[in-house]
Order: sequence, then C-alpha cells, then structure tokens
Amino acid sequence: MLDVQHLEDEQLLRYSRQIMLPEIEIEGQMRLLNSRVLIVGLGALGSPASMYLAASGIGELVLMDHDRVELSNLQRQIVHSSASIGKPKVRSAVHTLRALNPEISIVGLDRAFDERALATEVGRVDAVVDATDNFTARFAINKACFETRTPLISGAAIRLEGQVSVYPFDRAADSPCYHCLYRDVTEPPGSCAENGVLGAVAGLVGCIQAIETVKVLLDFGETLAGRLLLIDARRMDIHAVRLVRDPACPVCGGVTG
Amino acid sequence: MKITLKLYATLGDLLPAGAFENAVQIEVADGATPNEVIDQHRVPREMAHLVLHNGIYVAPEQRDLPTIKEGDVLAIWPPVAWRLT
Repeated sequence: MLDVQHLEDEQLLRYSRQIMLPEIEIEGQMRLLNSRVLIVGLGALGSPASMYLAASGIGELVLMDHDRVELSNLQRQIVHSSASIGKPKVRSAVHTLRALNPEISIVGLDRAFDERALATEVGRVDAVVDATDNFTARFAINKACFETRTPLISGAAIRLEGQVSVYPFDRAADSPCYHCLYRDVTEPPGSCAENGVLGAVAGLVGCIQAIETVKVLLDFGETLAGRLLLIDARRMDIHAVRLVRDPACPVCGGVTG
Repeated sequence: MKITLKLYATLGDLLPAGAFENAVQIEVADGATPNEVIDQHRVPREMAHLVLHNGIYVAPEQRDLPTIKEGDVLAIWPPVAWRLT
C-alpha cells in the first residue's frame, strides 16, 4: 500500500518545479506519490504518457502490454530504444522509466489482453490511461472502468489526427462513456500500418493524456470530461466538442448518477 | 440556401473546387438534413464520425432531421482509432 506521509529533501528538489504550482503544492505532490495509475499500451501514446507520469512522481505505475519492440516502432514509441528491439515492450519501458525516476514503483504486466486480468487491475488503481491501438481493447477498458467507476483517460492518434477525452465515471457526472462515442463501429476505419502516423502527433496526444491524468488525480482545473479534444495537425486545428451520453448505450445507457 | 461545409483531416480531400482551406460554401435544398449533405459530398457515412451543426454535436439518430438553415455551418470529422481485432 502506498503511504507517503512526508517528502524527503531529494523529493522536494526533484518535484520542486511542479510543487511551485498553486494547483499542486506539497499536498498535491503527496497525493501523486500515493496514487496508482494503469497504462494499457506502451506504444506511441503510452510512451510519452508513461514518461511524464513517471517523472511527475505517480507512486505506482502499472504497465500492461504484450508486444515486443520492433524497429518500425521507434519513430514514435520513444520510451523504447534501439537496444530494446526484440524485447518485451513492458520490460523495455520499465527499464527506461526506472532510469528516469527510480523512486516510484513500476509494475510491468507482460501479458496478452485478457478481460479478467484487466478488470482486476482497473479495480485497484486511481486512474486508467487507454493507450491501446484497437477497438476490442478500448471497449473492454471502457467497460471495466465504468463498472469499477475508475476514471479513464482515453487517447487515439492516426495520420496527422488525434483525439483525447476523459471519462470520469463518478456517480455525480452525467458524462458519456467511450462506447457512446464509438457506438456504431462495425468495420475498421484504418490501421496505423495502413495509414501511418506522425510520431509527434501521437506524442502530443500522449502528453495531453498525462496532463489530464494529473488533473484527474488532483481534481483541479477543468478536465476533458464530457468533451472530446479533436486535433487536426495538418492545419493545426484544435477543437473541443461537447459529447452527450447515448441513452441506448449498452455500457452506460440507462444508468443515471 | 447557402451553408458552410467544413471537412477535417483526411476528409478534406473530398472538398469540392472553390474550397478555401477546409471550408466551402455550398448550396443545399431548403430543409436539408445532415445526412443529405454528407451523401451529396460523397463522404462515406462510416467516415462521418463526428458531425457538428453550428459547433454542436449531432448524434447519428438525429442526422436525418431537416435541421439545417441558411448560413449554418456543418463540420465533419473522421474517426480516430486503429484496427478492430
């Protein structure tokens, strides 16, 4: 169990630039150090998200992925390096993140996607970052987060486009879930391998996911709950649109409060 | 009546001649629906993921309603996600 009661001198120095922020201060830093976050997917989105969350002092990061690092990943998956090619992504990411911040706990789960394992892990963390690359995983993560009322920070990127949203799943909010947004998906709109992606576009989305995760954990500012951030990097056009809950949604429809 | 159609990201390739950046003024029939505009410009329905009418999200079941009026702006974004497995 995470139980940080005070900050050591070195921690005060390590986190000093964010402790200076009135939104964080020492109390907020202690909350981060006492928080657990699950990151599903250590690819283009999970790379920057995991690095910034590790650097910010999240007490425990749980990393879930079952792929191995390939040469074609390195253009965008910056938590991995050339030396990691052929290794499990989780092991590669743990190595990088431990070097970045050795004082936090990092748990690597190198396993194939499994709904039961996912539900167990989701139930024991304070927030989940969805950095996966397929709808099967996204729908399962959304459902597990809804059932356990665990905040979900969801991002996606392809080509020069990105989307980010937050699904808080707290009982007071009437916000939609991921399934409300992608309710009619019946065929793939395109894969990264077919369409390509500019690494920095995915990086931007992953960074926004890290920002939103810190805001959710510390409950400050206005998160993307109930809104979807749309990024068109070709024109650098960024919009936030308000989302509505689908009353017929098979996951959250009909559930109020 | 005239309205403004905005197509984002890869949908921008479907804009007709006369478009400036990602927007174009188009002529539509009185009482046009969002789906009629989508079909008229050959935007595949599955690629018209987010439809915004004057900046407000239009759910799929509302896209056959004759809600569009002179001077309105219809903006369309494609889905952003990877493969189904």
